[in-house]
Amino acid sequence: MTTSTGVKSADESTDPGNWTNRLRGWLQGLVPPGEALPDRQPVYVASWIYVFGVLTLSALAVVILSGCVLAIGGVHWWHVSSLGHFVNSVHLWSVELFFGFMVIHLWGKFWMAAWRGKRAMTWITGVVLFGISIGTSFTGFLSQSNFSSQWIAGEGKDGINSTGAGAFFNVLNPGQMLLWHVVLLPLVVVLIVLIHIIQVRRHGVVPPLDADLEG
Amino acid sequence: MTRDRTPDSHDFPTRRYDLAKEFVITLVVVLVLSGGLAAIFSSPDEKPITMSAWAKADPNNLISTAAGELAGTTTSATYGAPYNSNAEGQKLGPIPLQKWGGVRIPIDSADLVLGPLANTSGDPAVSSAVAAWKAAPPAQRTKWATDYVDAIGTAAADGEPATGAGGDPAKAAAGDYGPVPALSAGLLALAKTGGLEGALDSAGNFYGGDTTKSLLLLADGAYLEDQAVAQNLGGDQWGMMNEVGNAPGQPWMWLYTFWYQIKPFSTSDNADVEVWALMMLLTLLLMFLPFIPGLRTIPRWIPIHRLIWRNYYRRSAGRP
Amino acid sequence: MRSLSIVAEGPGRYIHWGVIQISVANLVIIVAMIILFVLALIVPFPSGHGQEADQERRQK
Repeated sequence: MTTSTGVKSADESTDPGNWTNRLRGWLQGLVPPGEALPDRQPVYVASWIYVFGVLTLSALAVVILSGCVLAIGGVHWWHVSSLGHFVNSVHLWSVELFFGFMVIHLWGKFWMAAWRGKRAMTWITGVVLFGISIGTSFTGFLSQSNFSSQWIAGEGKDGINSTGAGAFFNVLNPGQMLLWHVVLLPLVVVLIVLIHIIQVRRHGVVPPLDADLEG
Repeated sequence: MTRDRTPDSHDFPTRRYDLAKEFVITLVVVLVLSGGLAAIFSSPDEKPITMSAWAKADPNNLISTAAGELAGTTTSATYGAPYNSNAEGQKLGPIPLQKWGGVRIPIDSADLVLGPLANTSGDPAVSSAVAAWKAAPPAQRTKWATDYVDAIGTAAADGEPATGAGGDPAKAAAGDYGPVPALSAGLLALAKTGGLEGALDSAGNFYGGDTTKSLLLLADGAYLEDQAVAQNLGGDQWGMMNEVGNAPGQPWMWLYTFWYQIKPFSTSDNADVEVWALMMLLTLLLMFLPFIPGLRTIPRWIPIHRLIWRNYYRRSAGRP
Repeated sequence: MRSLSIVAEGPGRYIHWGVIQISVANLVIIVAMIILFVLALIVPFPSGHGQEADQERRQK
């Protein structure tokens, strides 16, 4: 019951029938208090291999940023403008860096057996991200509107058609491929990146193999 | 490792760290690297192959391809789903995955030739050829076109001798090919004007945007593939990994393209679906690695982690 | 600004080794990644000194 000053009673804040309360509770429970952006980290996090996750994330940011600039100019911009061509080059190289950092990050996480301690979902979302990134880059290559796009489309269609998916996902249709590349797949990538990072902050960075707190 | 005894990371001693600063630093690093690499190495942007370029570089092949579309013998004509029902398509063992997709992008290969030509005016030879084709029964059409394709033949290649006129329509033996030579020549002429792509992809709908028909016709010919193979982009050249010129390609595709290079995939009619299935299996193995005994223990057997956490292990060993 | 057009010109340099065929560009990238990985493992990371690291245990 709300009092005349608008202060709600204790019952209302925790009323489980209230969807907003439940949503807030769920959001708050995703990550332990103070762990979303902590200013401390475990002492064992002390190796350069640990920066490859954030390097991958930064590379993704540059990929998306350069992609947005390309979108401003449109699909022929990079053919007719030297600035457009430069931004296209930034987009290409940031993608190469993204994959390079991501794979090194994967190597590091494998040798750390980073799935331990209830971190299987972190690992799984990581592998899914790797796969979806490959798909996203594929649609990107198809959207270049140059010789490479023609050849990749002609070859790629055989792989995809053979699975039956080609009936719905037409790599010979640049209009469809471009929209998958700039809308659908980036949304999925960003969503799964969010889940992946929340998992890391939720469980914390995996302790060393055979770490012994009593030692 | 039957029971995961990994301690809670939050129970360990900590030290100060600035995650936000770390992110900003890496962002600047990547921006500088990307910009620098882009400025130094740029990126490839080879002009697409136009129908006009194909017509001028290899007119015999375009004519031969046009005849093949009319005969129903080209790759796209005999593809199966999603373009037509003229083949079973690839199977994974007994499972006809390609066919299950359905013919949802129906393409009549003869239409790749007739569609653009049917709207041609001012060329009586083409108009009467189109009319003659339409008036003929299907069996007659197929006979005309197949005979013409055989008469043109192919040049000697890969240890196989030349057939027919060795790929040269001008040298094809005289015979009853009906309107097929005129139709093929008409398509060549239209290609040379630069209007063929538009006639295929945007006639009737103005905006185009879907290049399915143009790409199928182009891929049915030899010119596109010849240019690609010359740049090491062919399927049996690890092409999936490569890019034109000296540009970096897609090194992460190494394993996907690897299988195409070796038996049994390199000689299989179902190579595409088989490689896809194998890669899906490997991806699932990687994804569910945490649950796979043996595989998940490799990091223990090959202790690279002792390098990563060497400071921690040293400090822990020193404690009583 | 003229950029090095080595990436765009010519059919590209490839290395052949048995069934393996790889472009020089791709090989350089892969080798660079391996080197970077090894360096990341062995180059010391500037961490807080062991004795000065605050001890903090979370309340469970």
